[in-house]
Amino acid sequence: MMPIWTKSGKKHAVTLLKVQDCHVLKYISKEESGGKTSKLLVGGKNVSPFSKSESAMEIFKEAGVPRKQKVSIFNVTDDAIIKPGTPLYAAHFRPGQFVDVTGKTIGKGFQGVMKRWGFKGQPASHGQTKTHRRPGAISTNKAAKVYRGKKMPGKMGNIYRTSFGLKVWRINTKHDIIYVNGSVPGHTNCLVKVKDSKLPTYKDCNKNPPFPTFFADGDEKLPEDLYDDEIFQFTDPSLTYA
Amino acid sequence: RINSDGKPAKFQPPPKPVIIDKQKQREERRFLSPEFIPPRGRTDPLKFYIERKDMIQRRKVFNIPEFYVGHILAVTTADPYANEKTNRFVGICIQRGGKGLGATFVLRNVIEDQGVEICYELYSPRIQAIEVLKLEKRLDDNLMYLRDALPEYSTFDMNMKPVSRLEHEEIPVNKLQVRMKPKPWSKRWERPKYNVKGIKFELPEKKMKEAQKWSRPWLEFDMLREYDTSKIEEKIWKEVSEELKK
Repeated sequence: MMPIWTKSGKKHAVTLLKVQDCHVLKYISKEESGGKTSKLLVGGKNVSPFSKSESAMEIFKEAGVPRKQKVSIFNVTDDAIIKPGTPLYAAHFRPGQFVDVTGKTIGKGFQGVMKRWGFKGQPASHGQTKTHRRPGAISTNKAAKVYRGKKMPGKMGNIYRTSFGLKVWRINTKHDIIYVNGSVPGHTNCLVKVKDSKLPTYKDCNKNPPFPTFFADGDEKLPEDLYDDEIFQFTDPSLTYA
Repeated sequence: RINSDGKPAKFQPPPKPVIIDKQKQREERRFLSPEFIPPRGRTDPLKFYIERKDMIQRRKVFNIPEFYVGHILAVTTADPYANEKTNRFVGICIQRGGKGLGATFVLRNVIEDQGVEICYELYSPRIQAIEVLKLEKRLDDNLMYLRDALPEYSTFDMNMKPVSRLEHEEIPVNKLQVRMKPKPWSKRWERPKYNVKGIKFELPEKKMKEAQKWSRPWLEFDMLREYDTSKIEEKIWKEVSEELKK
């Protein structure tokens, strides 16, 4: 995570996400998948092909691509279908867009009710016998049962969570890095899924994005760094207020 | 020539001239700002490389002078609420923290009997100028104990003139031992954890001996805590100096 300054002098914290060897793996049509839209399977980081069975490797063989560590599904409209085997780059996103990032949170293991659900526990002294971090009462008398989904101790973390509506501040096309506002679920160097935001406030935020995606062998030559309009670039002199 | 003994003196060749090569001496002194050294962790080195590129880019446009803890600096920042939209603060640097773009330094001064500490970010675009008024290193890396010292040790004149200094000389170390206010202090500076060398402790012997109870002499032999930065520093120094020369 890094700081980024805007032209008005405010500081924002930014997470760097690297797009590492992303390829489109497979196209599943609407009828096949049984959903409302067709789906595209996209794979992430390259890993060794020797630790998985042959049947799992079929998808990668058909696409002609080395085995990927993370495979995720994206719902796409029919005009955004891409041929399996095309590489995807960070330039698919543009600064000023809003993005949702999904990842597996850091696993904390078996945790008690105070850390997992934020319960207040009991006082440390004044006669409490062996009760300082316990949940206390778990149901009422009339209910005569414990409701399903009652917050209790258990395994915490290591589940998929999404942070919504994160702004993309800057894109580095040379190293394929996306600078995303705020924090993102997961530990350092973990694999995450980045999608266009589904929030209604950001529905019209994409002004001419590369559609269906940014093709590296096309005619467009992008500069090495793409900045949002409000970012203070380090090539400019220091800020002054008029 | 004849000696006082009457025997001919042995030929003594004149002493060889000692050539002090000032060019070589100049190159030997390297200073790499501590925020360039990446912390020990599992982050991708690519992230540090990209951050370094940004830091070097900022340094090309705006000069960040070489300074250590104990120097007296004057910083002018852009302030939308001030009269002339600029704010000048003079103070002694008590701490340098943070790595990468978020590196900070804390300046302390006592203004009208009120101690003031301001934490500035080195790479913030609001800083318009940093001038080093007085160069002197102190015995410690962290001068937070000045909060509990007598206020005369933290007062510096706001309109101080920059003290002239010969270039290519070693930075002088001020071995000043600071006198403290009576206890209680904000931290127990006599404990070996803080390893403070710049305080003149006027506590009784018994208290000093009791403070040594908290010493952990095994820490300096702990191999897992070792972080040898010499090779990393060399590489980064080469990279940074080459980029800045362009």
